[in-house]
Amino acid sequence: MTRTETPAVAARPRTGRAIVWLVTGAAVIVALFAINALAPSLYSVPLPTRVQDGLTLALSVLIESLPFIVLGVVLSIVVQVWVPPGVLERWMPRRAWARRAVLSLLGMVVPVCECGNVPFARGLLMRGFTVSETLTFLIAAPIVNPIVIITTHQAFGFDDGILIARLLGGYAIANLIGWLYSRHPDPDALLTDRFKATCDVVVHEPGGRGRRSIAQFAVELRAVLPALVIGSALAGAVQVLVPRDALLAIGSDPALSIIAMMALAMVVSICSNVDAFFALSFASTFTPGSIVAFLLVGPLVDVKMLALMRTTFTTRVLGGLVVVVVLSAFAIGTAVNLLV
Amino acid sequence: MSRTRRSRSLANRWLGVGLASILAVMTLTLAATGRLGLYLNPDSTWFAVGMAVLVLVGTLLTFALPLGAEDDHGHDHDHDDEPRRRRPVGATVAAVGGVAASVLVLTALVTPPASLSAELAMSRDIDAPPLFAGADAVALATTGDTAEFGVGEWATVFATSTNPDAYDGDPVTLTGFATPGEGSFELTRLVITHCVIDAQPASIPVQAGETPPETGEWVTITGVVRASADGRLSIVAESMERIDEPGDPYEY
Repeated sequence: MTRTETPAVAARPRTGRAIVWLVTGAAVIVALFAINALAPSLYSVPLPTRVQDGLTLALSVLIESLPFIVLGVVLSIVVQVWVPPGVLERWMPRRAWARRAVLSLLGMVVPVCECGNVPFARGLLMRGFTVSETLTFLIAAPIVNPIVIITTHQAFGFDDGILIARLLGGYAIANLIGWLYSRHPDPDALLTDRFKATCDVVVHEPGGRGRRSIAQFAVELRAVLPALVIGSALAGAVQVLVPRDALLAIGSDPALSIIAMMALAMVVSICSNVDAFFALSFASTFTPGSIVAFLLVGPLVDVKMLALMRTTFTTRVLGGLVVVVVLSAFAIGTAVNLLV
Repeated sequence: MSRTRRSRSLANRWLGVGLASILAVMTLTLAATGRLGLYLNPDSTWFAVGMAVLVLVGTLLTFALPLGAEDDHGHDHDHDDEPRRRRPVGATVAAVGGVAASVLVLTALVTPPASLSAELAMSRDIDAPPLFAGADAVALATTGDTAEFGVGEWATVFATSTNPDAYDGDPVTLTGFATPGEGSFELTRLVITHCVIDAQPASIPVQAGETPPETGEWVTITGVVRASADGRLSIVAESMERIDEPGDPYEY
């Protein structure tokens, strides 16, 4: 066998093997459809009410956020594999604070809500954006984006300054967090070992763009899917276990109402695109400042987001984020209560 | 490839594209059988279905990628001996999390979809009516056309109307489940903005001549709206039919 013949001869069995695997894959997917169609009819024993409610709630969060996660993964593949080096970077200002200020507006043009932002932010990190820049984007994007602005406006209009306080507050908190973490002496230490290993793998992934895209599709779903399932399960479980009236018994007290609504926001894990409508039903009993605090805390550090962010950032960083977001939201909520 | 590395790669595929494709299959089956509304506002159906198809196409393509290829650096050395191994505690937590996530998703795959219980609806009742996206009470009250009103719209009108007499005598046919409260019972329905996690109960008091239904029991009532002397609205039921839970238990 000569050297020149080797690739052609080797390619044929490889292509054949790929086709066999594709057929296997199709068979597996068909089998999943069959199981999903048939198994529930065999299952005659109903689950206990609370377990069933928890499962329904968890599944609702999962089915609702999966499309956004997938969109985030696709965008992450685009920035990592398809956008040539230097294209994004050319548009960025040189100064660190100005870069963060611009990145915190990126949510205006990237159409994903908070869950989808996590894989997209991982793509930015892999592309070479710094940890503080990525955190600024990740914290700002769920609030400073067109859909959230429209739905918050639909719900509250300009009443009590809730919309303005949410937007400016979200932007300010994101840049504050970006600035704080930009001062960290060793930014790599803010990332989990697993994410660093994934970065290493993805950056050196061999093959053409098509193959790299498929590989990153597998890698990113592996990173975020278990976290999303666990986060959704926690959100579902907490909702059936923590009595909501216990949180809401303290509605009209200016300070306690803010704390109660922040706790509710962390527990309920509602997508930031629609949380304004949910908050609206509390507006008659709760102070405007507590509504603002709810709208600031929920999209940034609810249980589902924390589980997702844990794929990339260390527990210590998450602790820091929660403290900064909660304290800032409390301060902004108190200011709103004093001013309106 | 060593055995350990092979099983680790297989676990990675399962926890990524595996779990995602199960959720995608469930989304598509629910959409095809008209039951996606049990979890999502039907307005989002096209987006959920489109992305679910994308997941399945992507998953299919990963089958053509040799197992473990995504863990490759493009240079040969055995990863089993690398110092990248995680600390035992972290590895255990990750393993438990992976098993828990798998159990949850597989349970969802083999159990029938279900709506939220009446108990949950009652525990969420905060004595404030749910407000619909873009449809405030003023708009509701000024149109005067109540023929299309569901329990959610009526609950908003009952709670916020400044001119209750305007509705006195309006005929209604409404479906919901019974919860205890004002009147003989309250007719309740969960109202969803986006997905079931944001479900909020809407209730209206019903005066019924016959024995009220049990808590959680579904009924269709036909009757009229009545305003009391103190301006409170309620529904006086002329007939009441006990029914099975409808296929679309929520209002959107």
